[in-house]
Amino acid sequence: MSPVTEIGLLASRELRRSVRSVKGLILGIITLVGAVLASLVLTWVEGQKVAEAGSREALVELRRQMLEKQTGDAGLARYLASMPQSLRSFLDLTIWLGPLLVALLGFDAVAGELQHRSVRFWAVRSRRSSYFAGKLLGLWALVALVTVVLSLLVDGFALVRGFVGAADILRWGSRFALVAVVIAGPWAAIATFISSTFKQPIGALLTTFGTFFLLWVVNVAGVATRARALAETGTLPRPHLWEYVYPNAYDNLLLSPEPGKVAIALGVLLGFVALATAGGSLLFARRDL
Amino acid sequence: MSDAPIAVQLRNVTKRFGAKTAVDGVSLAVEAGQVFGLIGPNGAGKTTTFSMLAGYLHPTAGSLDVLGFAPSAVDALRGRLGVLPQDALLPATDTVGQLLVHMGRLQGLPAAAALEKARQALAEVEGADWWTQRCGALSHGMAKRVALAQAFLGSPDVVLLDEPTAGLDPRVAYEMRQLVKAKRGRAAIVISSHNLQELEEICDAAAILDRGRVVAQGTMGELTAANAEIRVKVKAGTRRGTGPGLVDVAKLRSLETVRTLDYDDEGCELYVSFERSKAEAEAVIGQVLSVLLGDGVPISGVAKGRSLEQRVMDLT
Repeated sequence: MSPVTEIGLLASRELRRSVRSVKGLILGIITLVGAVLASLVLTWVEGQKVAEAGSREALVELRRQMLEKQTGDAGLARYLASMPQSLRSFLDLTIWLGPLLVALLGFDAVAGELQHRSVRFWAVRSRRSSYFAGKLLGLWALVALVTVVLSLLVDGFALVRGFVGAADILRWGSRFALVAVVIAGPWAAIATFISSTFKQPIGALLTTFGTFFLLWVVNVAGVATRARALAETGTLPRPHLWEYVYPNAYDNLLLSPEPGKVAIALGVLLGFVALATAGGSLLFARRDL
Repeated sequence: MSDAPIAVQLRNVTKRFGAKTAVDGVSLAVEAGQVFGLIGPNGAGKTTTFSMLAGYLHPTAGSLDVLGFAPSAVDALRGRLGVLPQDALLPATDTVGQLLVHMGRLQGLPAAAALEKARQALAEVEGADWWTQRCGALSHGMAKRVALAQAFLGSPDVVLLDEPTAGLDPRVAYEMRQLVKAKRGRAAIVISSHNLQELEEICDAAAILDRGRVVAQGTMGELTAANAEIRVKVKAGTRRGTGPGLVDVAKLRSLETVRTLDYDDEGCELYVSFERSKAEAEAVIGQVLSVLLGDGVPISGVAKGRSLEQRVMDLT
């Protein structure tokens, strides 16, 4: 059996298992309720801003001017201003909460089966590397599924409220969802890697949260540094290289109008997933179960 | 050892956990189609040896082969090695049917065949009605039987069973033993267990482990000395001596075929060893009973060899 087939079987089983678990159902309900609330808030905020500006076109123009001032790039400013803000705000929210969802869904993916030794039923039937990759892809697929469902919900809400048109959803809604899905990959890889090194899920949960928090702090430090520079100079400096250890820092690159930047961001994020899979698989293959 | 091909082989296998040596230079071989027991007290190294055979643990030194491959060679052993791990919980959210079909698919079976084999394996453990039940809702006995079904799924060439009847009620344990017996000759089955009577009943051969080492191994007949020893149980309270109703040890020892003879006054049991080359066990039994009955000693029972339990007690 090829590793691809093996991984496919394991990932689809993992996805099914997660969806049917009590934890998955509770998280699903919470996420759906959260999405509805977020939709209400974001579209209300958008409505308020449109009302303040006088019209949607006026609001876009205001944003364009502000972004041009910040970036010094008229083309980029026009491009960024054309994004539907309610959807873009929801993307920010999704990728900010994404790690939390990944941590809660994935902390026990491997550790739980190590704790109860259920992994032993699989150990004689699948390569350990496939097992690891299957767990990772299953988790990633689950987060992707949640993201897509939520995005559709929010897109629909914004469409009904009249803040976006069908063309906006096709152009931006789908792209935002894709960005969130891609960014969830490295988070899923980190969570699976950590989960595979613990026999006690609580240890995996705390370590995952700790790691995610550390990465967030790195990002916050970078953003704060640049915000100070913006306040002092009026121009937003480019992010420091070290800020890119935080997977969410790639959102602007992935939304860039320049295909080169999108390719680099995709390459780095998917490369990170591949690297974590290879490293995690290697360690998992060498350990006693 | 016969000319049958070797299905499982360990050569000088050692496993250490830090400073503790759990398995120390174990070598043994299991023939194809044989039911082989791993016997020993707690801490003897049975489960560690078993776990290395299943590929769960990596040996510190030495080598293991299952059907000519290292246990970690999953692809080469796919569908040919089945394992019932001890204390491994079935995934709670999967239904029994989903789990078995998934396992079958991972063994390389096409979807339709996996479904058919899964139903067949579940029927073999008399669990056909549990197909749609969640594994988390199964009782201990039911879960054990489902785990056994996954071990025998697809008729693998080698099956490893760790404590297959532990915690089961007598009826289910009996059914498990019948299932294993039915598989004899079709798969090499290695059973790790504390239940010596069970092992004596179903195993063709065994290895007795103590403190990580093999202290004895061979066929069940060799281990219990069935070809070289008989036991005669006499009525409780029977004493040794000469005269009617007493066990005349000297007279029994003088029998030509008897090599050694011991009488356990407390247990009221005679242990008689003999030269295999000089007499058959049945002939020795006849001679000994003739003397005892001639002296009017009431006989409670006769058996060939020592019990496996006695043998293990002697060795460990």
